[in-house]
Amino acid sequence: MQKDLETNFLADFDANQNIAHKICRLYTTNQSAHNDLFQEITIQVWKNYPKFRGDSKFSTWMYRVALNTAISLYRKSTRQIKTQDFDAVSFKIKATDYDDTEELQLKALYKAVHQLNDIEKALIFLYLEDKPYKEISETLGISSVNARVKMNRAKEKLKNILNP
Amino acid sequence: MDLLENYKKAWENQPKDTNKLSSAAIYKLAKSKSSSIVKWIFIIGILEFIILNSAYFFVDMEAAYLEYQKLGLYNFVFYSQFFAYAIIIYFLFQFYNNYKKISVSDSTKVLMKKIIKTRRSVKNYVIFNLGYMALIMLIVIIAEINLKIDDINLNQMLLVILLSLVVCLLALGCLLLFYQLLYGFLLKKLKRNYKELAKLDDFN
Repeated sequence: MQKDLETNFLADFDANQNIAHKICRLYTTNQSAHNDLFQEITIQVWKNYPKFRGDSKFSTWMYRVALNTAISLYRKSTRQIKTQDFDAVSFKIKATDYDDTEELQLKALYKAVHQLNDIEKALIFLYLEDKPYKEISETLGISSVNARVKMNRAKEKLKNILNP
Repeated sequence: MDLLENYKKAWENQPKDTNKLSSAAIYKLAKSKSSSIVKWIFIIGILEFIILNSAYFFVDMEAAYLEYQKLGLYNFVFYSQFFAYAIIIYFLFQFYNNYKKISVSDSTKVLMKKIIKTRRSVKNYVIFNLGYMALIMLIVIIAEINLKIDDINLNQMLLVILLSLVVCLLALGCLLLFYQLLYGFLLKKLKRNYKELAKLDDFN
């Protein structure tokens, strides 16, 4: 029983670990904080995995657990140094699919999102991941209408940071 | 096209395999110890209980009871302790319950509400402890003065009252400060986030 649970967890988590990495990149600004948050997300997903009933997709459930961990359980981010050493976590892009504009855009995007507050980060992240408002409102626990209102504000704020 | 749509494309195309961990590494991480805020709030709550109550081991209770007897307060102190412990046990039960009920698979808002509730029960617990301590101190001071009222003059009495009050306030102040430092640090970020979320519902 436990063995099955572990096997399923590892398969599910492994297939979706990129979600956790992206959230870590948004909520932390250096590699050691990234690793800390990633560890905490892994622990929380595992601890709550028996409660995952499968009435939604695993990835949907994981977005929620991982974001909640980043927003409310993670302790160290307030003590982080504010410098944006994004290059430390920069991507080793293969020569074949190298695209300079997109890489620069991505860097600018991360840098801008780091200036938002935790809730705005969550909204923008779910927007970038192309999540429907229904899922966003369920994840955060607010009404769809409010999610829209807040999303528009967060997007405006982000645009102003990106393009002052 | 919307400015953000461009960035969204860059986001979608970001490479997937950076930092990718093996299943073995994930397994190891999943089984490691959590350092979450909720866990710390729970631990601190329990530590506070132990620290506040272990004070009894450092105080010579026999001597204290003799002193209470002299002041005619023995019965009061003895019975009020039952009352106090009943309340403390209730609080501990609540801490445990709060801790157990908090789940990251709730929505963000529900989760934060529960965390704030946990915090409130720890706060009430500390207020109760401080209040109980203050009450006992006050009653002891009054009883002490009552006992010696014939032996000392008014000035001495005022001095005794003043000194006792200062000592009591200092002791209570230290505890309060300790408590503020501990939780203030842990919960500053959360409170801010919760306010952000709560604001959402005010708009409608």
